[in-house]
Parts: sequence; C-alpha cells; structure tokens
Amino acid sequence: MTDNPINAQTAPRQRWLSVLARATRAELEQAVATLAPLEPIEHLRSAESGMVMLRARVGGTGDAFNLGEASLTRCALRVGASALGVGYALGRDRRKAELIAVLDALLQDSARQTLILNTVVAPLANQQALKRDAVGRSAATSKVEFFTFVRGAT
Amino acid sequence: MTNPQPLCAGFTDPVHDAQRAFRRALDGLAHPGRPYVLGSAIVGLKLGPAMGHLLLALTDDDTPVWWQKNGSSECEWLRFHTGGRPAPHPRDASFAVLTDAEAMPLLSTFALGSPEAPEKSATLLIEVPSLEAGAAIELRGPGIQESQTVRIAGLADGFWAQWQDNHAAFPQGVDIIFTCADKALGLPRTTRVRRLEGL
Repeated sequence: MTDNPINAQTAPRQRWLSVLARATRAELEQAVATLAPLEPIEHLRSAESGMVMLRARVGGTGDAFNLGEASLTRCALRVGASALGVGYALGRDRRKAELIAVLDALLQDSARQTLILNTVVAPLANQQALKRDAVGRSAATSKVEFFTFVRGAT
Repeated sequence: MTNPQPLCAGFTDPVHDAQRAFRRALDGLAHPGRPYVLGSAIVGLKLGPAMGHLLLALTDDDTPVWWQKNGSSECEWLRFHTGGRPAPHPRDASFAVLTDAEAMPLLSTFALGSPEAPEKSATLLIEVPSLEAGAAIELRGPGIQESQTVRIAGLADGFWAQWQDNHAAFPQGVDIIFTCADKALGLPRTTRVRRLEGL
C-alpha cells in the first residue's frame, strides 16, 4: 500500500497485533463492546480458516525445517471509512479473527489509538506477561541439573 | 497510513462464486464464440464483472498477471485477494489483463508455451466495448458444430491476421477470453477464423 513496507507504523502495529492474537475471544469481545457504537463493518475478506507451515531452526543454527502445520484464521475488514484492519489468530475461531481485525482497524485511527492502546492493549499485554512469567517459574522448579560423579579417579 | 484508493471486496460467496466462474470459463473455452453470463458487479472495482470474477477464480500466487494498465489499484486488489503477482513483461505472464484491445501488444509477445509444454502459455483476458457490434467473423473448429459467428468490437485491424498465425502455431499459442460487462466469450487456439465481409 505504501512504497516502504517497513514504515514507522509497522513496529507498533506488529506489537499490538501479537498481543491481540494471544488474547482470548472473551477478552476481545469485552474490549470491542466498550468501544461501541461502531460504524458499519465492511468485510473485504470474511474470516476464513487455513493452514500455515511453521518453520523452525534447531538451536538457532542449522537450516530451517518444517516443524508442522497449524490451523490459522484470518480476516480483513474496514470499520466505516477506517484503514484496512487485519486479524490473524491461531486456531479456527472466526469471530476472534474478526474482533482482532476490528481492533486493528480502530487502532490505525490516530484519534482513537491512544485510548485503545491504554485501555485494551496494555492491560492484555501485562496479563500475558504475568502469565508467561508464572509458567516460566513453575517450569523452573522442575528443572533438574544433571551432573556426574567422576568414577574410578582414585 | 496513506490509503488513497481503498481496496474493494472480492467474491461475496467465495466457494460458489469461484466454482461458477471457473465452470463458465471452461464452458466458454469448450464452446468458442458462445457468450456466457458470469458474475454480478463487484462494488467499487473498475473492471467489468466478468473480468473481475475470472481473475478471482483463475489466478493465484503461481500465476503472474500482466496488466496493460500498469500500477493500477486493480493490481493491488488482485494481489490482496488471490496473491496473483504482477508480471514485469508479457512473456512472463500466465494471464494478461487487457483493457484497451486496440493498443494491445502483438499476440506473439505473450508466452506461447513450448512444443514439449504447450500448456505453459498465456491466457489473455481482453475487455472489449461490445460482443455484438463488431465486424462479423466466422469461427470453426473443435467445440463448434458447424460454424459460429461472432461480432467482437474494438479490436485492432491486424488482430485476426495475428490470430491466424497463433492458430497455425498449434499446439503452441495463446488462448483468449473476451469479456464485456458480465459476458465472457472464449477463443481457444484451436479455433479457425474467417472474416465475413459485408454480412
């Protein structure tokens, strides 16, 4: 759409899209409900499910290989005369992809951006960070250090 | 975000619209010269409904599309919906969208396939002003019982001479689907043509 795909908008947009994609559908429903009333939604690509190939790399070196496929749902729409909002989420929840796209469309509107970032995206990001931290801690308690006594050294 | 020309939607009913468009394209090429009605208008798109539906049904990310009118919003639109990339040169294209038939390049500039792989040739989608108001041309060949008369308007003077060369190159050569508003008319490379003067 623009000549330079990596413009100043891209990094913050990637950030909020990743936060929204990790949120649950109930959280997103609630967030969109607080922003009502919305202008009519025009679907450019109704929510549809498909597959993506996940690529991985062992240990950060070596060649990339295909880890496996995951189901993914995507949606593209405009809210009133807004910019194009897109939603991509793992799984087959079409409503969730649609809600992400609605929020993405509204977030690109500079008049509403700060409000939505503060009331929707920031709390979700915090919550997700706490949850990740808790999972990390509980996994850390089960960590086992392997060490071997030297045998026959006497 | 700068977005001067907003993208417009694709198929309203993706599965059935795509199946219908594909079926009509097959029918059109199986019965050269017989017009088939295909698709309703796509809101906001500057291409005819038949052209729009054919593009949505036929192209994907493996089929480069050459646009006679370069850098248009339709090009963005197709990339968004099907992933069909614009081809830099007519020779690289699997499909070509020609909206000004009088100024189109020679048929031989498009991919004609090779004797080993004649299917690797281009299919031209040509939007013409009318399928009823041109000079009368008689078609004969596979898919036509006796003969079929077509009156395609807006073609360049040398077009039918080029077509005879295209037919003579069989099995190589391009196939054409003419579109006009919601109608599509197929002209595969197997079809022989004869100009009917004063008909």
